[in-house]
Amino acid sequence: MKRVVVDPVTRIEGHLRVEIKVDEASGKVQDALSSGTAWRGIELVVKDRDPRDAWAFVQRICGVCTTAHALSSLRAVEDALSIEIPKNANYIRNIMAATQNVHDHLVHFYHLHALDWVSPVEALKADPAATAALQNTVLEKYQLPVTGPQDFNFDAYPKDFPKATSTYFAAVRDKVKKIVESGQLGIFAGHYWDHPDYTVLPPEVHLMAVAHYLNMLDRQREIVVPHVVFGGKNPHPHYIVGGMPCSISMNDMNAPVNSERLALVDQSVSMALDLVNYFYLPDILAIGDIFVKNGFVDGGGLAKERVMGFGDFPDEPYSGIANGDFHKKLLLRCNGVVENFGKGIESASYFDLEAKDFSDPAVINEGVEHSWYSYPENKNLHPWDGVTNPQFTGPKEGDKTDWKYLDEEGKYSWIKTPKWRGKMTEVGPLARYIIIYTKVKRGIIQPTWAEKMIVDQIEAVSKVLNLPPEVWLPTTVGRTATRALEAQVFANMNKYFLDKLIANIKNGDTATANLDKWEPESWPKESKGVGLHEAPRGALSHWVVIKDGKIANYQAVVPTTWNACPRDDQAGHGAYEACMMDTKVKIADKPLEVLRGVRSFDPCIACSTHLYNASGKEVSVVNTDPYFKG
Amino acid sequence: MKTKDSMWDLFQRRGLSRRSFLKTCITLTGILGLSPSMLADVVAAAEKNALPVVIWLHGHECTGCDESFIRSQSPMASDVLLNMISLEYSDTLSAASGEQFEKHLKETMEKYAGKYILATEGGVPLAEDGIYCMVGGRPYVTVLKEVAENAAAIIEYGSCASWGGIQAARPNPTNSVAVSDVVSGKPIINVPGCPPIPEVMTAVVMHYALFGEIPPLDSQGRPKQFYGNRIHDTCYRRAFFDSGMFVEKFDDAGAKAGWCLYKMGCRGPSSYNSCGNMRWWNGLSYPIQSGHGCIGCSSKGFWDNDPFYQRLPNIPVPKTITTADEVGMVAVGAAVAGVVAHGAISAVQKNKRQTEKHDDNVRGPQA
Repeated sequence: MKRVVVDPVTRIEGHLRVEIKVDEASGKVQDALSSGTAWRGIELVVKDRDPRDAWAFVQRICGVCTTAHALSSLRAVEDALSIEIPKNANYIRNIMAATQNVHDHLVHFYHLHALDWVSPVEALKADPAATAALQNTVLEKYQLPVTGPQDFNFDAYPKDFPKATSTYFAAVRDKVKKIVESGQLGIFAGHYWDHPDYTVLPPEVHLMAVAHYLNMLDRQREIVVPHVVFGGKNPHPHYIVGGMPCSISMNDMNAPVNSERLALVDQSVSMALDLVNYFYLPDILAIGDIFVKNGFVDGGGLAKERVMGFGDFPDEPYSGIANGDFHKKLLLRCNGVVENFGKGIESASYFDLEAKDFSDPAVINEGVEHSWYSYPENKNLHPWDGVTNPQFTGPKEGDKTDWKYLDEEGKYSWIKTPKWRGKMTEVGPLARYIIIYTKVKRGIIQPTWAEKMIVDQIEAVSKVLNLPPEVWLPTTVGRTATRALEAQVFANMNKYFLDKLIANIKNGDTATANLDKWEPESWPKESKGVGLHEAPRGALSHWVVIKDGKIANYQAVVPTTWNACPRDDQAGHGAYEACMMDTKVKIADKPLEVLRGVRSFDPCIACSTHLYNASGKEVSVVNTDPYFKG
Repeated sequence: MKTKDSMWDLFQRRGLSRRSFLKTCITLTGILGLSPSMLADVVAAAEKNALPVVIWLHGHECTGCDESFIRSQSPMASDVLLNMISLEYSDTLSAASGEQFEKHLKETMEKYAGKYILATEGGVPLAEDGIYCMVGGRPYVTVLKEVAENAAAIIEYGSCASWGGIQAARPNPTNSVAVSDVVSGKPIINVPGCPPIPEVMTAVVMHYALFGEIPPLDSQGRPKQFYGNRIHDTCYRRAFFDSGMFVEKFDDAGAKAGWCLYKMGCRGPSSYNSCGNMRWWNGLSYPIQSGHGCIGCSSKGFWDNDPFYQRLPNIPVPKTITTADEVGMVAVGAAVAGVVAHGAISAVQKNKRQTEKHDDNVRGPQA
């Protein structure tokens, strides 16, 4: 048995450490430990501030999923103050959220995850002409027969299309060769390039993927143009409580939104569709197909047992979340929990998740058995009732500021352990896909166009892989593939909401903000709200309590908390740990397979909500989760 | 500050033999997974000049600065990463992880001692011996100090590294501070913003790659080129301020016509950054153009200059010029008041410039 530590885990957001115990003979991971090793305390920072500013503060929880926390925060504050935003603001926010998902997913694959599958060193062996031929085959073979709704399409031809010439691939290969020969490998330095998994793909796939890595590095900025137009910048675009600050006028070039600005958005939306349809999705399917055919159907872990979603993308404005109206208006009704999908859709169980469940301590609570906190009588507590008692116990071996091994039997992470009805659950794109597929196939919902597209995609991919969904979906490949499939849905969602925005402006409605409740004098003395969002990494929730015009309590339970949490002695392992333990390792010292599994979640580890002053004394009872990330 | 030494230069300087140099090249060829026939190419490359080496560390941050960096259009991210610098260590982009990655960091620090650029992102938490941000099992502050020791220059990317950032806003639970609060004796380039404009971030390394030295800095260590103007003075809505034409309420007629956002709390009059002249996405927009006031994200301590929708005169800021009501003395006085206001601002600018000139270089020698 060998114990291997990987710290820092790179190509993620934030500070993550994993430790695994590997049986070297069988390659089986006997135990795995996931630890968040930093916290910042933004929930305390936001306390006593103006709730209209909260979105800007909590947006800085994460610069990768940059709009996710701003949007959840706006929704929570608007829920507390009973503000219904105008139609245009709803459409624009949906475009910004869908844009974020497309961008985040694409950058995650090419720039954070791809190097777990492909290697620039292998690319050197590729024949440029054969790579050009491969590119053509990939484009033909891996197009999914699905389309989204479109009213206007000004895109005359695909502006962004993969270059499939031998000259191009030869130039890319030569550049990679120069880098390798220079000895200055830069971002490619020091990795396990000799790992046998890098020979699963033929050299030509490596070269094609490396070319796309570079191509997408330079193109990704164009995807977020809607953020720059509607929010002024990216990362961290601007919003306002009650709607959007980007007023619309077709009479003024100085207006934040006019015809010229809408044309910019339209162009970007069309381009994002091209990037997903011609680069991202075919690349993922080509790579995934080869890996699956080589037996890589592991890494599913918790996804086979339990997944959860909250639902998102209100088609039209809603009057509140706590009152249930939000969940009646959604295009993506992935709110719910699915158990045992790994045993097949017939054996899977579905449990609904409604607005009222979010305030029920029996439905969602958190424990700190293995987190650096203590709870009275070591009970599980609902986020609303959390207390903050820090209990940093240090590592098992080493000292406080120089760790050797963390203590899996004791406390080992700043992340708490959230549970649904006392059970561990996975969230994210894979969870959303499993839930919607189950709900539609079992007749629980009549699908919207977006939900139908998801089911069609799953069936089309099952055909390509020649495997049923329950086999390929809950795996490391499936987790990575659903992100690309989802990018296609979100790219179409952009087009859908842009069409709705234009149609609404055409009808004479240019309002972008509802300011009836802008002044604090118009607010109740005390109010509470919840904001839900399906962020790129999964189900995200923010809670706010507003008292006397100020934030009295602010809480967030984020996707990475659900996935990256430490174990619970009753409920078992969280999603990261379960994934690692469902993955075989070929070389214990070079656990590439485990890192590929962890990165398939798109880890985003940045902030804690457990807040203490410098002497470790409790300074607030505002607590939920240590990790505040989407 | 010349950094363009080849591996062979380094071997010669350390008095190491040609034989040990060739041995290293053979090892390198193996590590890179290259065939032995490519040894000659590796030797040739190692004798050539190298790209400036950059080590990028992450403390208490949100990775928004990395995201901004790769959004750069000119130069493009791929050109920066492959042809202008050699980014040997980055939590966000590097292929390697864990032990091998930490070993590579150590080797890079030794090999390029005194030559590498240290780029930092994020604040530095000091509470409880720094355990609130651990990297490789050690406090970030420890790693930061180690890497800083032999750096040629340090870049503080973003308002967290520059000023402590959001986690340092009251009550600053982790006692998070700026990089320059714990590291000194080096040229430190301060590139604030939440995040900074992509092209400002890449321009700093591009300047270094082009001219072999760090760009000229102001009294606060910021590149003069990008932080020399107030957003207010470069804002395309400035004429409306001068004419007293203000947005009074979001989405009102003034908002639709793109009037001045001063009364909506805009921090443009106290913020030094290039949002007004460069804008984001090579001139596409910036927060004010999209209808929201500037929140002053490049200013020191801006998070505690809230609430953001209260206009400047009502909060403690250092450079209040006049009140909006005075400026906007409605129709009749508008033109006159505009001139007065403009004069006042110009005077402030002038004083600012003189002050800057006076205390240049306070943060350390320029290259």
